[in-house]
Amino acid sequence: MRSLVTFAALIVALPALGAGPLPSCPSGAGKPDVAALVERTQHLLEGTSSVATMTMQIRGPTWSRHLKMKVWTKGRDYALVRVLEGSPRETGMMTLKRERQLWDYLPLAGRVMKLPSAMMGDSWMGSDFTNDDLVKGSSLVDDFTAKLTGAVQADGHQAWRIVLAPKPSSTVVWSRIELDLDRTTCLPVEQRFYDDEGKIARTLRYSDFRKIGARDFPTTFTVLPSEKGHSTTVTYDEIVFDVPIADETFSLQRLQRGR
Amino acid sequence: MLLTLAWRNIWRNHRRTILTVSALTAGIAAIVFLDSYRESTFKQMIGVVTTGLVGNLQVHGAGYQDNPDISTVIPNPAQTMAKLQKALPGAHLEERVVGYGLGGSARDSDAVMILGIDPAQQDARSRLFKVVAGMGLGSAPAHRAVVGAGLASRLGLRPGSELVLLGEAADRSMANDRYMVSGIAKTGSGDLDDSAVFLQLKDAQSFFALGGAIHEILVRLEDPGAASAGPLAAARAALDSKSLEVLSWSQMLPELKGMIQQKRNGQYGMDFVVFLIVALGVLNTMSMSTFERTREFGVMASLGTRRRRILGLVVTESLLQGLIGLVIGVALAAAVLHAVGSIDFGSMAGQDIGGVRIPSTVTLSLQARAIGDAFSTAFFIALVGALWPAYKASRLAPAEATRVV
Repeated sequence: MRSLVTFAALIVALPALGAGPLPSCPSGAGKPDVAALVERTQHLLEGTSSVATMTMQIRGPTWSRHLKMKVWTKGRDYALVRVLEGSPRETGMMTLKRERQLWDYLPLAGRVMKLPSAMMGDSWMGSDFTNDDLVKGSSLVDDFTAKLTGAVQADGHQAWRIVLAPKPSSTVVWSRIELDLDRTTCLPVEQRFYDDEGKIARTLRYSDFRKIGARDFPTTFTVLPSEKGHSTTVTYDEIVFDVPIADETFSLQRLQRGR
Repeated sequence: MLLTLAWRNIWRNHRRTILTVSALTAGIAAIVFLDSYRESTFKQMIGVVTTGLVGNLQVHGAGYQDNPDISTVIPNPAQTMAKLQKALPGAHLEERVVGYGLGGSARDSDAVMILGIDPAQQDARSRLFKVVAGMGLGSAPAHRAVVGAGLASRLGLRPGSELVLLGEAADRSMANDRYMVSGIAKTGSGDLDDSAVFLQLKDAQSFFALGGAIHEILVRLEDPGAASAGPLAAARAALDSKSLEVLSWSQMLPELKGMIQQKRNGQYGMDFVVFLIVALGVLNTMSMSTFERTREFGVMASLGTRRRRILGLVVTESLLQGLIGLVIGVALAAAVLHAVGSIDFGSMAGQDIGGVRIPSTVTLSLQARAIGDAFSTAFFIALVGALWPAYKASRLAPAEATRVV
């Protein structure tokens, strides 16, 4: 009965959310529309909303640990991450994003802490992902100006290389991002993030593409920071896109109750 | 004999001597005053360092200074403390846990430095912080925190407020816990006032999942201004250098050490300028005085006085004036230092140099280093000013010199 209601809600909600099918890939085009390519990539990775469970493996030079978590996102403004499994004091930890603000729920303290907005570029839970990555703070479409620099060989793929420069109005921490997209499928292969000094600060690799609904989705994200011996891998155990999520999920009051 | 003669000679033309001595006195007093003023400031800053956050020496897990990772620890503090105490019997030792994280509340948060200390180990030599509101950690039960004044005002914390901490622990998990603010404190450093959260050692150990391990053992020597080289060598010899490192405050704060060195070099520059000016004056008067006495030196020489003795006589006359200038100059500087008492830095106060806050007021006192500087400057002034005239006086041909009217 419950699932029927959800199903009905889904049917009604979908068009309202504007979740159309993914634009087709202009494969073979000599000079594709770069803005359309970036928009397609962002839509592919994020949808209009999503619910996912994932496993995060964080590795350091002498240690390794893993977290299991569930992530809800709705548009660009709302996201909630909940740690399902980690060390005893991390289990139940949550990060909530509402518009431009971030809060953490700390299970051992039993309290909510508001994170300074300057922390967006900082590590999330000691991983090589930033808070910004996790809660989809910045948008490839809105915060960057894209330029196609040509066709390259990347990781065994014929790929388009797109350079994304942050717009002056954006608060992005990177000086530049390079995005490689497979020429035939338009799927992302690799993304490189440059720091203020023009050095590669980290590399994000997309792999293990699986059919999720109508899209091919990379179910493994690997981040390699510039520090030797460190890496973080996120593996999606489950993800659904463009599902309705109650606003209540992202409420601060609910976070403060630790639920 | 030489001394008596020299003493009598310099008072033969007392007006000239008084003028020469006055110039020397003024130069020496300037050197002693400025040098003492500077050294008083340094002494106070070094005192802040060695009695505050840093101490005279620190012991860490090997490699901690270059890469202060939360998991680089002293694994068995009790054993290390015992060895250290044996090597440095008079020293006072303190255990520390040091970590970083976020501190705050639902309203606001900020980056914090979390310091775990054992209140029982803080004695008269420890001036890590001064509680300005509420209570310290001494008699507080567990899960209490003392917060730096700057941080407290930014986060709106008062004694009795709740403080939530978040940070990466030694096992790489995210430590999080809740504490009650027992007091607000001021330290000797602006950075620290703006970021420090002090916890009981045990609370900090459990927050950072350290077990019984700690990050630092602080060594405070009996004299806060004592040189570090000897104790440093003794501590290094006593401990296993593979797993532990020992550093002096100047190795941990190279910027402060560098700044002091730079200013001292500046002082040498000023000493040299004073030296040049006063030495030229002395040269002038000594030339005059020996020229006037050409006949006298001629008579001395013809009576069989050795050249070396004449040279010695003139140099001694100059050195005597130098000594008088030194004594009066130091006395004058001491009097001025005492009269001024202390200097208020006003607008400069609150700035940090090498992580150490410039003291808002510096109590001035005569510094040994300043007297040393003044002594060598006065000596060289008198020597250099007299050498040429003395040489000339000693080379006079007796027959011709006695004929000079």
